Amino acid sequence: MERKNFLRSLMVGAVSSTVIWEACKKDTADVVSTETASGSGGGSGSSTCTVTPTETEGPFPTKIPSGYVRSDITDGRSGYKMTAKLTIANVNNNCAALTGVIVDVWHCDAEGNYSEYGGSGMQSTNYQSVHFLRGRQVTDANGLVTFTSIFPGWYNGRATHIHVHVYNAGGTSLKVTQIAFPEGSGSAVAIVNGYNKGMSGYTYNANDNVFSDDTTKLELATVTGSIAAGFDLSIRINVAG
Amino acid sequence: MDQSVIVFCYRKIIDANSSSPWEKLVFDDSYLEFRMQFQNFNKERKCFTFAELIRQQADAERLHFLVSPSVSGYIQQLRGQIPDVVDVLGKQFLNFSRYRFELINSDIRHAQGHQVAINFYSSSMNWYHTIGNTLLLSEDSAESTDEDSAIQTYLYQLQPFVSIHTLKLNP
Repeated sequence: MERKNFLRSLMVGAVSSTVIWEACKKDTADVVSTETASGSGGGSGSSTCTVTPTETEGPFPTKIPSGYVRSDITDGRSGYKMTAKLTIANVNNNCAALTGVIVDVWHCDAEGNYSEYGGSGMQSTNYQSVHFLRGRQVTDANGLVTFTSIFPGWYNGRATHIHVHVYNAGGTSLKVTQIAFPEGSGSAVAIVNGYNKGMSGYTYNANDNVFSDDTTKLELATVTGSIAAGFDLSIRINVAG
Repeated sequence: MDQSVIVFCYRKIIDANSSSPWEKLVFDDSYLEFRMQFQNFNKERKCFTFAELIRQQADAERLHFLVSPSVSGYIQQLRGQIPDVVDVLGKQFLNFSRYRFELINSDIRHAQGHQVAINFYSSSMNWYHTIGNTLLLSEDSAESTDEDSAIQTYLYQLQPFVSIHTLKLNP
């Protein structure tokens, strides 16, 4: 009898936890609609009556890094070459270099556009080309990552900038920030002069809603170089590692 | 000969119940990428699921796109052949060059809530007849290789999660 009661209590537990789970799931279904399917797809695993694949097994799949993991993020976008060196430091350890953290960067192209879907909903296999100017590296022993890219253009309402997201090795966010560019006579921003767009209507750092409060210039990179030789950007980003 | 040119779409669902090594790699890596990218949108850390997030900010629909590079290497491992879909002989026969990655549901608290789909779009196929419950097909690019101008054909019975995506009548 004791065993029976025990089993019954287990069953109650199982049912109630299912209800809770379903309650959460309902929200999901409301938004993502009826597309939620159960099971592992329409292949041979489904219970319906279809022909089972009968052929030699393909090569055993191997683990492949995310398509984001690359140093050159240019993807053929035209613009002036820029090498960006980001050093990640740990404020919890006297700003010593942080090794092995994941750094994502992304920025707009010379015209001020980010990589996006083409719009048709049908995507070609060449995912790299639609993920232009986005990349990921893991910091080396000096806390350094290097990206090869083009000098970013600008768009209405924002100063020239690069987005940065730093994660620990497990993928948990340590810092979401942006890199600002020096301005004024002789600066790279002035030399590039907005590519074909010019600088009419440009938002300078002082008026930028992200950078205007960065009074200590922690988000401001050092940028040197020329159109002919390319530009070199460097910055240290402090995170709580 | 009367024929229509069709493109199939196979929507392959991958979730915590998926069992093949390839599916598990797609599942694990897309879940990790989802949790990473999610944090770019969930700045106030109030949301846990993809559904909650897109209800809060429509812009989060970009996560489909942003998570997709995590699986692009695995798509290439398929070498242009749509998985799971087989003709009546039990052989894979549909090629693809286009696909679209889709987040269905996901939850940063537990992987069991993660569910994605890869939509494979086949290359163009000629559809000549329907024989019983099967479609008589050939590759649109197929050329005859013998004197009788016979071409390679396939008999295919539509299966769940496979649809005819586009149709061009009597070209």
